[in-house]
Amino acid sequence: MDTSRFFLPGILLLGLLASGASLLARAASPQATNNQAALARQSSITFVGTVSQVAASALSAVPKSPQTIVVRVDSVLKKPAAVSLKKGDTVTVEVKDPAAFPEGMQATFYTEGWIFGSGVAVKELGHSAPPSGGAAETAEKPVEQAPSGISDQDLQRLLATCDYVVIGRVTDVHPWTVPKSASPRYRTSEHSANWQEAVLQVQSVLKGPKVKKNKVVVRFPLSRDVAWVSAPKFEPGQQGIFILQKDEVSGTSVGGYKADVYTCLKPGDWLPMTEEPRVRSLLKNR
Amino acid sequence: MRALPGYPTRALALTVLVVTAGTVFGRGQSPTAVRAGVVAPAHAKVVDLIPASLSGETNQDSEPFLAVQVANPQVMVASAFTPNPISSTGNAPVYVSEDAGNTWVLSGITPVQRMTCDITHAMSIGENHPRGDLHAGTLACAASITLDESESDDVSSSAVMKVQSSRTNVDQPFVRALAFSNVDHIYIGLNDLGQSSGRTATVDVSLDGGASYKSYSIESRKTMGQDGPSVRPAVAPDNTVYAAFFGWRKFNGSMATSDVVVVRDDTGATGSHPFQALKDPSDKLPGRLVVKRVSIPWSNAPTLGQERIGSTLSIAVDPNNSSTVYVGWADRGRKGDIYTLHVRRSTDRGLTWSKSDLPHTTISNATNIALAVANNGTAGFLYQQLSGGRWVTHVVQSRDAFATIQDTILATVPADRPLGQFLPYLGDYDYLLAVGNEFRGVFCANNTPDRANFPQGVTYQRAADFNTRTLTDGSGNPVTISIDPFYFSIPVMP
Repeated sequence: MDTSRFFLPGILLLGLLASGASLLARAASPQATNNQAALARQSSITFVGTVSQVAASALSAVPKSPQTIVVRVDSVLKKPAAVSLKKGDTVTVEVKDPAAFPEGMQATFYTEGWIFGSGVAVKELGHSAPPSGGAAETAEKPVEQAPSGISDQDLQRLLATCDYVVIGRVTDVHPWTVPKSASPRYRTSEHSANWQEAVLQVQSVLKGPKVKKNKVVVRFPLSRDVAWVSAPKFEPGQQGIFILQKDEVSGTSVGGYKADVYTCLKPGDWLPMTEEPRVRSLLKNR
Repeated sequence: MRALPGYPTRALALTVLVVTAGTVFGRGQSPTAVRAGVVAPAHAKVVDLIPASLSGETNQDSEPFLAVQVANPQVMVASAFTPNPISSTGNAPVYVSEDAGNTWVLSGITPVQRMTCDITHAMSIGENHPRGDLHAGTLACAASITLDESESDDVSSSAVMKVQSSRTNVDQPFVRALAFSNVDHIYIGLNDLGQSSGRTATVDVSLDGGASYKSYSIESRKTMGQDGPSVRPAVAPDNTVYAAFFGWRKFNGSMATSDVVVVRDDTGATGSHPFQALKDPSDKLPGRLVVKRVSIPWSNAPTLGQERIGSTLSIAVDPNNSSTVYVGWADRGRKGDIYTLHVRRSTDRGLTWSKSDLPHTTISNATNIALAVANNGTAGFLYQQLSGGRWVTHVVQSRDAFATIQDTILATVPADRPLGQFLPYLGDYDYLLAVGNEFRGVFCANNTPDRANFPQGVTYQRAADFNTRTLTDGSGNPVTISIDPFYFSIPVMP
């Protein structure tokens, strides 16, 4: 086949594509965008603000230092519901590179909370240029509340360290009778867990090897004590995504069931089915 | 909006100086108590610890504790079941004040992730650490319960505390510390559930500022398999250390038959066999039995209002006369009572104790007893009583073993709101200590901004509108009520 007639137009097209990509890159590099997205996920408090003082602090509990600057909030993009922060407030920011923040500079600050008093002090995780359009664009807009349940970051950590992620349904719940061999470990305390066992019919395994007879036993605390308040509680018929750890709490195998025993103790270790796409996505992107 | 209720409220203060004995509060807040008294405003200061920048929070910040820097009493650390406000993986926080409790900040410095499930702490003299040398005992409750014994030599630095010792399967660490010759002695009462002997009442002792700990069982008698959760040390500057605990002799799951036991050491637990100084005449074993075989209800469910019951205990020693020591506890009391407080006193280093409760100290339907003794010998007695559908927080003072008392009501709040998120609702303890000419302490209560709930007045740091009795998030949006920790100080009776 004679390909010469495609050669010149091909080169021209490639040239156009290359210059276009270069222009796009200058507008918003994908890498920069990815970094910002990662910072946004990682940060607990994100806001657009203008540097009002350098080497200063607006909170008496935070001594001023070359690393601390005071920033006037122009708009809040993300914060936990508990945190009081709004346009016009001042925030003390411990920055990584003070030279990058001259007075009057506006930026989007990706931060983690540090000290909470009459105002907020935060530590910079990163920053970026403010949204295009300048101050007009940073007028108050709906604030993204940090997830009240579990953030992507925390969920990713759970998924990475667990033994199993399964979708299943609870078929039975009953109290766990502590074997005599383990009873010295279960003396009376206000933190006593009141262990229960949920029998789980596994419908699909998202992480981990095949489950014997598609059945696992999940041991969980029914106690309302502060130690266990965040641990998921189960009822017969309950369906969802279970993030399971091999049981290291009791140290004993369960009587009556020829099934493996797991625990599900942390907030986020059980999720409703509506979270399936997020879990699958995070598992895929591990 | 910051609200600073005015002093007119204090004109209505329920501070009462009872000049005659014979009124037993155990029968309720009898009008007799008021009729016999003389109003004596105590000028208590009460401050809600939640900072303005966390005005949107709705946590159940229960079970408070307090430490005061002796060398610089402006510096204090308080704690509660307050989670890290921004992260489930961040460090559990404490409240820090550097202005004698007028303002507080929340700083995540404990070694525990997100929230402790028990925390107590103490600051010794700290002359070399003017911003607070803090020793803490924290329980982390994840898959297992882990005790960290940790230290910060500057609570204002926001650096995470350094863990000095760690172990599992213990309960209710209760920290006291005092400096002897510029070295911090630390005494941590705890219930060591790993003790195979069943003699679980234990004091962990460090004589080197926490660099090393030795663990001593202080139970010398047979138990039903364990002692009760509360083990409370009290330290006097002359090196006398007392500890009180519940010696559980029987337990059926809902009722413990318990002795209230006090041990003593006269040399700061520096000897090889500490806490043996006090023997009971009945069996010659270490540990004086203040009362024998009392019935203590155990309920890990809402029982006293929304609060659980089972183990409230306090001990306090006169700092200038270590022969005088007070112990207080709760048991079933009379038939029909749920939980009744008692206070007894010894004036001979624990050898003998008052045969019955001190006057005005038998308090029915009450919990969270905390005792302290001021430099001038005045005894302080903090407690929370369920009365008329309200949680009423009292601090009582006396110079004469509670024959005459000054009773100050710090808070009286609805007991049915907010609904409990977990147990304990208010705490398994609160705390009182003496600092110079003040009693200082912490308690937890419903945080509705209602002046009528705080007869001594109150200061909120968090956004609150006392006219509409609503909390807001700082942007004007309403915030639901919850349990907050409150700091207070009150002058010691002259």
